[in-house]
Amino acid sequence: MAKYILKRLLYLVITLWVIATLTFFLMKCLPGTPFDAERLALMSASQRAALLAHYGLDKPVWQQYFIYLGSLLRGDFGTSFMYVNQNVAGVVTNRLGPSVLIGAQAVVVGVSIGLALGIVAAWKHNSLIDYLTMFLAVLGVSVPNFVMAALMQYYLGYKFSLLPVAFWTNWKCSVMPTLALALSAIAMVARFMRTEMLEVLEQDYITTARAKGLNNMKVLTRHVIRNSIIPVITVVGPIIVNLLTGSLVVESIFAVPGVGSLFVDSIKANDYPVIMAVTLFYSAFYMIVVIIMDVTYQLVDPRIRLASGSGE
Amino acid sequence: MNMYKKILALVLAVVMAISLCACSAGFTDSKSSAETAAPAASGADNSGAEAPASTTAKTLVAYESAEITTLQQWAVSESQAFDAMNQAFEGLYRNDANNEAQPALATDCQISEDGLTYTFTIRSGAVWSNGTPVTASDFVFSWLKQMSSDATNGYSFIMTDYIVNGAEYNAGECDAADVGVAAPDDSTFVVTLKNPCSYFLRLTTLPMFFPLNQEYVEGLGDQYATSADTMIYCGPYVITNYDAAAGVTFTKNPTYWDAANVAIENAEIKIIKEGATALNAFLAGDLSMVKLDASNVELYKDDPRFTSSANFRTEYLQFNLDDPVMGNVNIRKAVSYSIDVDILANAILKDGSVGAKGMIAAGMYGDGTSTFRELNGEVNYYDADAAKAAWAKGCEELGYTPEKLTLLVRDDSVTASVATFVQDQIYSTLGVECVIDTKTTKERGTLMDENNYQFAITAWGADYDDAMTYLDLYLVAGDTGKSTHYRGNYASEEYNDLINKAKVETDAAVRLDEMLKAEKLLVEQDCVVSGLYHRGAAYLIDDSVNNFVMHPFGVNYEFKYASFN
Amino acid sequence: MSMKYDTLSPDLFEPAIVQEDEKEKIAAPHLNAFQDAWIRLRKNKAAVISMVVIAIILLFAIFAPMLSSYNYRATDYNNIYLKPCLEHPFGTDKYGRDLWVRCWMGTRISLLIGVFAAMLDLFIGVTYGAISALVGGKVDSVMQRVIEVLVGVPSLIVIILLMMLMPAGLGTIAVAMAITGWIGMARLVRAEILKLKSSEYVQAAILLGTSQGKIITKHLIPNTVGVIVINTMFTIPSAVFTEAYLSFIGLGLQEPNASLGVLINNGYSVLQSYPHALVFPAVIIVLIMVCFSIFGDGLRDALDPKMRK
Repeated sequence: MAKYILKRLLYLVITLWVIATLTFFLMKCLPGTPFDAERLALMSASQRAALLAHYGLDKPVWQQYFIYLGSLLRGDFGTSFMYVNQNVAGVVTNRLGPSVLIGAQAVVVGVSIGLALGIVAAWKHNSLIDYLTMFLAVLGVSVPNFVMAALMQYYLGYKFSLLPVAFWTNWKCSVMPTLALALSAIAMVARFMRTEMLEVLEQDYITTARAKGLNNMKVLTRHVIRNSIIPVITVVGPIIVNLLTGSLVVESIFAVPGVGSLFVDSIKANDYPVIMAVTLFYSAFYMIVVIIMDVTYQLVDPRIRLASGSGE
Repeated sequence: MNMYKKILALVLAVVMAISLCACSAGFTDSKSSAETAAPAASGADNSGAEAPASTTAKTLVAYESAEITTLQQWAVSESQAFDAMNQAFEGLYRNDANNEAQPALATDCQISEDGLTYTFTIRSGAVWSNGTPVTASDFVFSWLKQMSSDATNGYSFIMTDYIVNGAEYNAGECDAADVGVAAPDDSTFVVTLKNPCSYFLRLTTLPMFFPLNQEYVEGLGDQYATSADTMIYCGPYVITNYDAAAGVTFTKNPTYWDAANVAIENAEIKIIKEGATALNAFLAGDLSMVKLDASNVELYKDDPRFTSSANFRTEYLQFNLDDPVMGNVNIRKAVSYSIDVDILANAILKDGSVGAKGMIAAGMYGDGTSTFRELNGEVNYYDADAAKAAWAKGCEELGYTPEKLTLLVRDDSVTASVATFVQDQIYSTLGVECVIDTKTTKERGTLMDENNYQFAITAWGADYDDAMTYLDLYLVAGDTGKSTHYRGNYASEEYNDLINKAKVETDAAVRLDEMLKAEKLLVEQDCVVSGLYHRGAAYLIDDSVNNFVMHPFGVNYEFKYASFN
Repeated sequence: MSMKYDTLSPDLFEPAIVQEDEKEKIAAPHLNAFQDAWIRLRKNKAAVISMVVIAIILLFAIFAPMLSSYNYRATDYNNIYLKPCLEHPFGTDKYGRDLWVRCWMGTRISLLIGVFAAMLDLFIGVTYGAISALVGGKVDSVMQRVIEVLVGVPSLIVIILLMMLMPAGLGTIAVAMAITGWIGMARLVRAEILKLKSSEYVQAAILLGTSQGKIITKHLIPNTVGVIVINTMFTIPSAVFTEAYLSFIGLGLQEPNASLGVLINNGYSVLQSYPHALVFPAVIIVLIMVCFSIFGDGLRDALDPKMRK
């Protein structure tokens, strides 16, 4: 197990390097410079040259690449262009806080409610609660989350004054963004759980277990859930990554200073160091979640041998 | 049940992780959570319809729709940062409620007979928030910085165009000592201009002209203005917290020279990117003012809190004269005549915007009694028949009928709706398909920079209240014999002469006449640009706030004069 | 349960007459798998209704714009944001354009995009995931790293670069979505097949010497259908909204064309004043999604031999 994880971590480093390289050269192809083109046109030639030289942008791209890699190895993410003179690591960690809190809450709410709904719906197959759950699940994905967020903000925030309309001043502010994000997670997890469970319920070993006289509860907990949860873990992985890395839409509707809007802004502003830092964080995070998921498979279902998925 | 123990452990770990996050999530005012909880409770009692005024009793809350990415004076180029700086810093002059420049850090100004030498007397008793007095050398330092190659905001021209040897200093061709800014003593600041400039005092209200304390700024080096603790202030307020994405909080500056006339203790500028969010926040009592989207104007225009104002900002069509099709003046005129800008302003935008019948924004200074726009009348206008005739003539001159036109626009929602309107007008008047080419701001900029566009929607906001802020954009640039690619590659000797003469003209009437002629030439005769609308803004302002002054140009608003009932 | 065996007397029973020719008779008509599924699908009322609704929406999308007296791009600045009325069943938009026609035009395009996204999922996603899981070993490892790289490189950068190279239009949307649209499906299918590979019946089949091809077609594919169908359901709305986003930044459809996603986006911005601009396109998309998902469930049940009653 330890050897497997070590090996995956080695892969992670290599993949990260590939991603960093690709992203670096792709982003250098982005139109424009980190500076506003219209303003740049107003600068004198010497100002422009001084500006580019100050940020090392006058060197050839491959040289910039090695300089960047070098400082990256020293743990230096550089200085932001957009946020003049601000340290990139500081900017990114500042903005991660709100996103991670909202995301983590949404994961917990989404996965737990989703699993519960899915289990109940499958267990009471074709009952009212089943239909209701499925309806909610469809609504949850087909109504865009910005509409849901806007309605919540208008009614919960303004009309009934239950929660703060927006902003990031105290914990209560995180409730509505969490709900807005959790909705689609609930929907996805519930549907997958239900389907998987329905399939497992049809299996012979469930019939066997029942025939042996195991009570319903024990059948459910020992056999059904355990066997239907594996593919659900596969969906949960990307959901976690999506939720924790911030949502541009939810962040801007609730005026939350999160990392989702930072990422989009940095790309639009050609803020190279910020783009790189967020990309590296995002991909490292994704890969770590994937590794954790793969390890979890084994915990939940010892029949799956990790080695089979690791290239041996 | 081994698995359940594992799951339990996992759940516990997640809960712990979340509570850790909550501690480091950086809520912007965890200390005052009790305060913010109170209005929410009182709001519930009020059945929601009328927002409680008590929420704004303490803090004046304005907002911006984009992040305040920097407050470093020589790097700031965006209006949201100017708005924040205007509350915490001050220039020699400050605009009053009537948009007139009034003495601020200067007590008065002596202008020499020839209009070339400005001698400002620095207010005695004006101090920085750390106790250091504000001196003339603070202005020398900051103005030189703005004119040097350190300035990254692209605003150096606003000084180098006027001040003796400014451009040379900028290009590194002369020493700081030769530039026309000097501090003979601590309370005297002397500026020497290349040419007389009737609006120079108005310029000194702009954030680029604010002072900077050399010792303090250089002591911090790169870290200056990266947080509230790395700045010293000379304006009505001091910044207590600065977060690019969350906003800026202010508290009254006790050392400000006019502190007695600053009524409100605490103020804040929040960042809200979504218009609907701002409206909800205002309705819930979290904001003192809100800018209304076009779609909400209908709903609130009879509200007593409603007010609308025009900005000195023109959105217009920029034709590229190097383009084979748009190079033809009749094609350009056909496009210009086919657009009914009144419908655009009154039916589509509806936010107080005015249809643009020219380049210079409505309300801008003319001869003192009439505005520039009133004096010059309509230089672009809607005339379907003339449009068709011009189109036919243009096609004949070209020798073919263009299949389609391509309009380059940036990806924001207001521009998108304006582009859709323009597309429809051209299609229904001329029967020509107009393709909308939406690009990100950067790529649109790059395409225009590379001269790779046919016509584009562009905007220009007045930096100061004078037509020249628009007109000198179309001067020949560099050695190309044309204006920049951005400005459509306009090459007209007549226009160039008019502007250059106006720049040195001392007789206001003659100067005005030259500028009026120039606009006619640019828009009506050569049709290099065609006005779309002068941007307006519709607001709701909380009725507990009095005298919340908003300016149509330069910085947007002032906290200084505001008070609560 | 209280019945005792000794209360039954032998004369209650009589021997059955065995007719040799009846023994081999097939009582039910001969059906192939498709017919069988169709019969089971027909019995599922909800699925049938959904199918009918989808058909109706499809018909509207095709014919409503043709039959209306309004053109989708004809503006009328005197009738801006009209509430729904006889003349304009869905009201009008910002430019006085008829929303009835625009909604159905939008439905056309959104359905097209949805179908395309589903195709991507089915062809690239399922194949990729299946190969990765089935071949395993080094190939699997490399394929998973490729996915990680594709997820890692920010798609917005790729999209902006695409914008520089390609003109706006449906084709560009297709390319933009093809880059990463199928990854979720690939991962899901891989996990599902990994699970199935270790299940008892597949192990048994392997033990019995069943060929690999047969295991794939008879065991693995039929048993992943459920997950595939559901995930496709999730892909379609996200594709529709991805398209709306791409259109906004200039990669997708440009005015005067519209898709449901764009109409919803536009409607959202005027939600408080003119809710009708949001409600109609939103209802259409929810209807499409609900019906597709009920129909998909029905289809899965019908195709699944285990569900046979």
